[in-house]
Amino acid sequence: MIDGVVRGREVRRPLSLKADAVVVGSGAGGAVVARELACAGRDVVVLEEGGYYAAEHYATMTPTNTFRRMAREASLASAVGLGETPLIPVLSGKCVGGSSVLTGGVCFRIPDEVLHGWVHDLGLHALAAEALEEHFRAIERAVHVETVPDAMQSRSAELFVEGAARLGIPMKRLRRNTRGCRGEGRCNFGCPHGAKLSVDVSMLPDASAHGARIVSDALVERVVLDGSRAAGVRGRLLDETGEPAIPFEVTADVVVVACGSLHTPVLLRRSGLRARHLGRDLTLHPSTRVYAIFDERVDGWDGAFQSAYSDHFFESDGITLISAFGVPNLLAAGFPGVGARHRRYVELIPHMAAFGAMVHDDGGGRVRRWVSREPLVTYRMAARDRGRLFKAMRVLAEMAFAAGAREVLLPIFGAPPLRSVGELEARLADPPSARRVECVAFHPLGSAKMSARARDGVVRPSGETWEARGLYVADGSVLPTSIGVNSQLAIMAVARKIAHGIAPPAVPRAVRAFSWPRSPS
Amino acid sequence: MALPSPPRDFARTTLGAHHGPLVRALAEAMLAHADGPTPARLDALVAEIDAFVSFASQTLRFGLLLMLEVLRFAPVLLLFRVATFGSLPREERVEVLERMEQSRLVVLTLVFAAWKSILCFVFFEHPEELAASGYSPVRRRHGRALPLVHAEAAE
Repeated sequence: MIDGVVRGREVRRPLSLKADAVVVGSGAGGAVVARELACAGRDVVVLEEGGYYAAEHYATMTPTNTFRRMAREASLASAVGLGETPLIPVLSGKCVGGSSVLTGGVCFRIPDEVLHGWVHDLGLHALAAEALEEHFRAIERAVHVETVPDAMQSRSAELFVEGAARLGIPMKRLRRNTRGCRGEGRCNFGCPHGAKLSVDVSMLPDASAHGARIVSDALVERVVLDGSRAAGVRGRLLDETGEPAIPFEVTADVVVVACGSLHTPVLLRRSGLRARHLGRDLTLHPSTRVYAIFDERVDGWDGAFQSAYSDHFFESDGITLISAFGVPNLLAAGFPGVGARHRRYVELIPHMAAFGAMVHDDGGGRVRRWVSREPLVTYRMAARDRGRLFKAMRVLAEMAFAAGAREVLLPIFGAPPLRSVGELEARLADPPSARRVECVAFHPLGSAKMSARARDGVVRPSGETWEARGLYVADGSVLPTSIGVNSQLAIMAVARKIAHGIAPPAVPRAVRAFSWPRSPS
Repeated sequence: MALPSPPRDFARTTLGAHHGPLVRALAEAMLAHADGPTPARLDALVAEIDAFVSFASQTLRFGLLLMLEVLRFAPVLLLFRVATFGSLPREERVEVLERMEQSRLVVLTLVFAAWKSILCFVFFEHPEELAASGYSPVRRRHGRALPLVHAEAAE
């Protein structure tokens, strides 16, 4: 539980605050920055558009209750596919803790080949492996990154590993930010036992203990600029209907925007930034899966939600294979058919395993402001990535048959089940339109990317925008390319590095006085 | 320190009086099986779906309602009949949905998939449906006494 969070929806009068730094967004990036600055003695205000639910509440919510209260667009946000591109649902958090509450807890460092490209192709020496090392280490300690033990593997993950082994595909065990996991298999609805150390459990309580003030239901509408310097933010608190109502402002010399790749560009654009790359270059890590039906009982929900992966195809094809299962209602949404035909698969869930993969994509996404508070997100999948998507599908299905599956369901709308590798070959010899592929994304990145030169991006290597001093971005949007693996650890490490580069205030906190309406209502 | 109560949900609704019967007709066909769903379950489901989608933005909710209108008149395109979806008997509604799933018009497939996802999310998390699907809340694997092998770090 985080002490002293002010819930904007319960506030009835305008707020006006002063601070050393205001952080917009409380997810993996914003929470880390808030903690680092607060621990360094800065006076920090954190503003979060989503609501605040204590981790202790997660166990009381069904999956859809979690999604509607804590995910953007009740989990229905999507990137509109342009051309030969599927519609891609993009899951992201809208709550205190952000998307970190809704992840599987998987923690990867940024692959060496990606960092090599950032340094040697893009000139971003600030993101060299040695420059990030201390930050990765510190974050891994703070969120307790540990390897999933074999005993925690679900049977679904064991079959994933067995199938890969029979095809000569090496597997590795995943690391996650967990302590005391009980294998509930529902990490992405908030851990019911507080065992996943998402930032609402690990970072924000620490920030709060060091004086950071956190306001939920606070929609920031504009960064206030004084010439080319950040001077604070303005916005409105949400009312009982969820619409913006009560105005607030926070005056601060340092503004850190960490709303995530889908919202950071919208806020910066609305605030007057004109960088050409703002909102462009969005990558998504399009992910796909197959369902495999076995004669044996699998009970894939019993065990760690995710526990094994393979980077065997990463360098050659940009594909990361990853085990995952899901709760029955989410699985059911992906089964083909209607009525009795669909019901048959629901009743086979106990015999089902899920094999997943994600594509290290080439960009093609764009975020724009439009008629809604939510952005218009479009995505044009590169031909190379379409090939990767179908290859991932093929490899996953082959693994499933190698593991002994008697039926495999491909992620293609309405596709009948496959019963052999021969049928798989026939199906993919003439692949369907990519627009018929079921795809999902969890890691939007790169829409306000870091660059070595102003014309190539939105923020400097320090995280400060090229256009406005004192205005920083510290979330996944600054990563200059996709990274091909789950991104929360990378975002946290980069955010920590950015936080450590923010210059201390000219006047120490001890000589200033602020009033904080602890019970503003 | 006492645990604060969760915040009150935002007070919003999305489905109007003319949407409810259509969503109910859709659910009755999409989720049809030998034993149900029961009329009472379908009635409750419509309210649960309204509560779920009402947390989305106005734009997205408008999009979902637009999709419902596409569904309403889908029989004209798919059965070549001047009839609305809700006026058809259940068997024919199932047929319309199957044709939407397989349609060459991807937009029809996406309408189908979007509403199927919402229905499944909400319907199959009901305790009775979870039990019927064979789901068990019991967790045993974390207590297994397997040797803990030191793993290669995933970096």
